Amino acid sequence: MSSALNLAHEPVTKIPHGKLAMWAFLASELMFFSGFFGAFIVLRNANYEIFGQGSAHLSVPMALTNTFILIASSLTMALSIYNLEKGNRGNARLFLGLTILGAFGFLIVKYFEYSAKWHDGLFPHQEGHTVFYSFYFLMTGFHALHVIGGIIPMAYMFFKMSTKKGYDHPVKVEVLGLYWHFVDLMWIFIFPALYLMIPYHTAAGH
Amino acid sequence: MKVFYALMILTLLTVGAAAMPFPHDWGTPGDILHVTIGVVIAVIKVIAVMYIFMHLKFDNPMIRFFVYVPVFLFFVLSFALNFLESWAYVH
Repeated sequence: MSSALNLAHEPVTKIPHGKLAMWAFLASELMFFSGFFGAFIVLRNANYEIFGQGSAHLSVPMALTNTFILIASSLTMALSIYNLEKGNRGNARLFLGLTILGAFGFLIVKYFEYSAKWHDGLFPHQEGHTVFYSFYFLMTGFHALHVIGGIIPMAYMFFKMSTKKGYDHPVKVEVLGLYWHFVDLMWIFIFPALYLMIPYHTAAGH
Repeated sequence: MKVFYALMILTLLTVGAAAMPFPHDWGTPGDILHVTIGVVIAVIKVIAVMYIFMHLKFDNPMIRFFVYVPVFLFFVLSFALNFLESWAYVH
């Protein structure tokens, strides 16, 4: 794929600037989320009961649905890039559209999840709120913001692809794809950390 | 497509493993077995996504360096904190 690109303006690295910049950005993003995970691990082990009760209250089926949606959207993103590189504009547009639909699907499920938490009084400043829910809203909230941040350029590219002129910038779509896969990667860790790793002795009623 | 199916199956495995009632008197501190299984499956999924979907397998070594350093730090932080804190909690 890269061999077909004109990399004359990147004489040293032979990597498209945008791609290198995106990897650097993702490295910083990983460190950003590492801070959350580090704090989560320390406080979780110091507050087993609270974290166990909080985690047991979350909806695993909803989170599992969102996991499937994100994995499927990662696949459609990869297929969109593949088709654009092969010159199949129609298919590239179709798969990018499906990726956008997946992103909206994720946010809709998240909306229902947050609504249930609101009705249960688990939001900050409500009576059921604990330190676990601070992490829950912080981590899933930032992740949802990243999803929204992905929808905006994807929608732009989708509409550009829909025009007569088309959108023949496979590298730009690939760079956006890297970002979108990163959003999926973070969810791969957030899902088990928040929803599944219930402290055993609490879950078992010890 | 193989990666997609593998990710789906691994996700179901994560949920299944979390629901398994491991006896907590196996000499392991707290729920460390659950956490270890969950983290190992997550790592396998991450490697699959990075190498196949993100094309890291075919990318320039410079990009790999960019990726390996923060990923290494992330896992050192996660593993070290989790195991040390779990151990400290039990003892």
